[in-house]
Amino acid sequence: MHPTSGLWASFSQAVVSEGQSDAPRLQGQWALAWRRLKRDRVAVGCGIFLLVLVFAVGPGAPLYEKIVGHGPNDFFPYAVSVGLRPAGPFTVTWDTQLMSGDDPFALKHPDPPKGTPRTLLLLGADSQLGRDEFLRVLYGGRVSLTIAAGAALVAILIGIVLGAVAGYFGGWIDALISRVTDLVMAFPLLLFLVMIGSLFSYGLTDWTFHGLINQGVFQLVLIIGAFTWFYPARIVRSQIMSLRQKEFVEAAQMVGARDSRIMRTHLLPHVLPLLLAYGTLLVATNIMIEVGVTFLGAGIKLPTASWGSLLAQTWGSILNPNPYNPVTTTPWLTLIPSIAIFLTVFSLNQFGEGLREATDPRSVR
Amino acid sequence: MVGYALRRVGIAIVLLWILSVVTFVIYLKVPADPAGFIVDIQKATPAQVAQAHHILGTDRPAVVQYEKYMVRLLHGDLGLSWPTVVFFNGQVRGASVGQMVWKAALVTGALVLGGFVLLLLIAVPLGTFAATRPRSLIDRLTLGLSVAAISTHPLVVGLLLQLFVGNKWKLLPASGYCTVSTPSKASITAWERFAPTGTQKPCGGMGEWAWHLLLPWITFALFFVALYMRIVRARMLEVLEEPWVRTARAKGASEFRVIRVHVLRNAIAPIVTMTAMDAGMAIGIAMYIETVFGLPGLGRTMIRALAGLQGYDLPVILAVTVVAAAAIIVLNLVADIVLLAIDPTVARRGRGMQKSLGRAS
Repeated sequence: MHPTSGLWASFSQAVVSEGQSDAPRLQGQWALAWRRLKRDRVAVGCGIFLLVLVFAVGPGAPLYEKIVGHGPNDFFPYAVSVGLRPAGPFTVTWDTQLMSGDDPFALKHPDPPKGTPRTLLLLGADSQLGRDEFLRVLYGGRVSLTIAAGAALVAILIGIVLGAVAGYFGGWIDALISRVTDLVMAFPLLLFLVMIGSLFSYGLTDWTFHGLINQGVFQLVLIIGAFTWFYPARIVRSQIMSLRQKEFVEAAQMVGARDSRIMRTHLLPHVLPLLLAYGTLLVATNIMIEVGVTFLGAGIKLPTASWGSLLAQTWGSILNPNPYNPVTTTPWLTLIPSIAIFLTVFSLNQFGEGLREATDPRSVR
Repeated sequence: MVGYALRRVGIAIVLLWILSVVTFVIYLKVPADPAGFIVDIQKATPAQVAQAHHILGTDRPAVVQYEKYMVRLLHGDLGLSWPTVVFFNGQVRGASVGQMVWKAALVTGALVLGGFVLLLLIAVPLGTFAATRPRSLIDRLTLGLSVAAISTHPLVVGLLLQLFVGNKWKLLPASGYCTVSTPSKASITAWERFAPTGTQKPCGGMGEWAWHLLLPWITFALFFVALYMRIVRARMLEVLEEPWVRTARAKGASEFRVIRVHVLRNAIAPIVTMTAMDAGMAIGIAMYIETVFGLPGLGRTMIRALAGLQGYDLPVILAVTVVAAAAIIVLNLVADIVLLAIDPTVARRGRGMQKSLGRAS
């Protein structure tokens, strides 16, 4: 769909193209939204942070891997100190996976043979295995963001179809769809996600699209999407319900346009900006859901890193928890993923909020 | 108005029925063979497996099974936990799922209820304070804090509180659950003799119970407090505009009395009913908190049943789902009807105060 579609946009474009220099310059809704968004300093800051984040977890992760010369699943025994405490941030460790010395269970090991290179662990080691925490946060962010964005897309697609049908046709179809959304909304979402995620897989966990996404991602995308579509559905429904009373819909019906055409070309462009803003908020929610579901043992499985599995790895599962131990537990391993989750969710929420205000035609700014 | 209430009751009943169908379909479709709990699947002959299915009742047609399931459900019988089923003297014996789930539901109930009480104790004064001084430093500060709180994962809050308050600084118990009643001598002896090291000593009594639940309650309250504070504030600002507030002020009532008697009382009622509507989300949050703090609640019971070494304990999983969802449906119904009693115009408008997104859990 062309970004400046919609009745209002085409009208304003027509006015602009006439080239009246002294007439007030009318802009398309997207240009207007962009101008409003630029004025919202918090939203701009969050948007920049999100761009940096997407770059960091996308091309940035393999780039950083090239620079430091080790992968997210390589382990460094020398990054785990006496008493099995993982090293803290800014650790330089021996770049070897072999432990020197005769006794592998000794507390202190002699240094590796001369000539062993050293390597940097920017945020320290991730566990007793001594993997690079920073790389795992980057790759984990990739998995978490993929799941969150994918699930939001699935939810919005289902929401558009069901919401548009319910809002446009009304009557018993609307009643049925509304009842179903009420039903799904009333249920404890997390309970269902954990249950469905553990009970049913149908081999979906192994769908990686030729290595494009990690194992388990596709399944989680589908499950989360299938249980969160009711938010976009409600929005689309209420918007379309108020729009279909408008004159331009009547006009379109009068000239004989089909229902599907009215919905596609006359109604959806009005809902799209709002959906974009809501989609951003949905991504934030989905990150929280992914973290929760993975922590509860129904999401991404180790050794694949995700922000949820980083937390789960530190604290263990219900059946074999890693209890707190003052010698081996380091707060970094809880703090680092927590901060990553917080910053991302915060930025998404604020950016989505700014987007919603900027695209709202009733907004005064 | 009565019609509206009746319609709501009817919808609730239909929802409960749909719930029973959904759980039964899940039960039928789950790729788990319960026969493995009675016989060793690898070594058993097909006849033995068939016998096991006969004992468990899983060889009958789906319709018959559904009928039995419904009859039992209506009698409050949730079946037997599969891993504990034994075939003894021609009878099937095992641990009752109903009792297991009931105990777990009490723990979750205590967590959620106490959490909501603590939440209202924090949110109502703060929200009132912010509403009476709009755009003051406190107001803006609470707004900023609530924005941050909305973006914080309850799991993260729980883990950090447990790590620092519970374990590092040792201010409050970091995990474990104590029963309200004091534990029997026998259970303490059993713990001394048989419990593996690291298992928590059985504890009990009102004081211990509340003391151990304090950190979970705080976690729960912290997650919701921002949202509720904003809602209290918005409601208060709305009510402050009402003519009766102006009348009360004109009559010379003190500001404290105006807020307490005329504003707060009118602003607070819908907020209390809102807690019932949030029950679904609360049970989800409770799942995180139970996992982090090791409370034997509904969520933890279900995850244990999902992750059991012998396979899924389906009756427990489904019972937790049924109990949690039924509680939510009933609580929503109660909230609807209480809201109707407070404000009869709801019947015409439909229930208002739809909450924003960004909070599903």
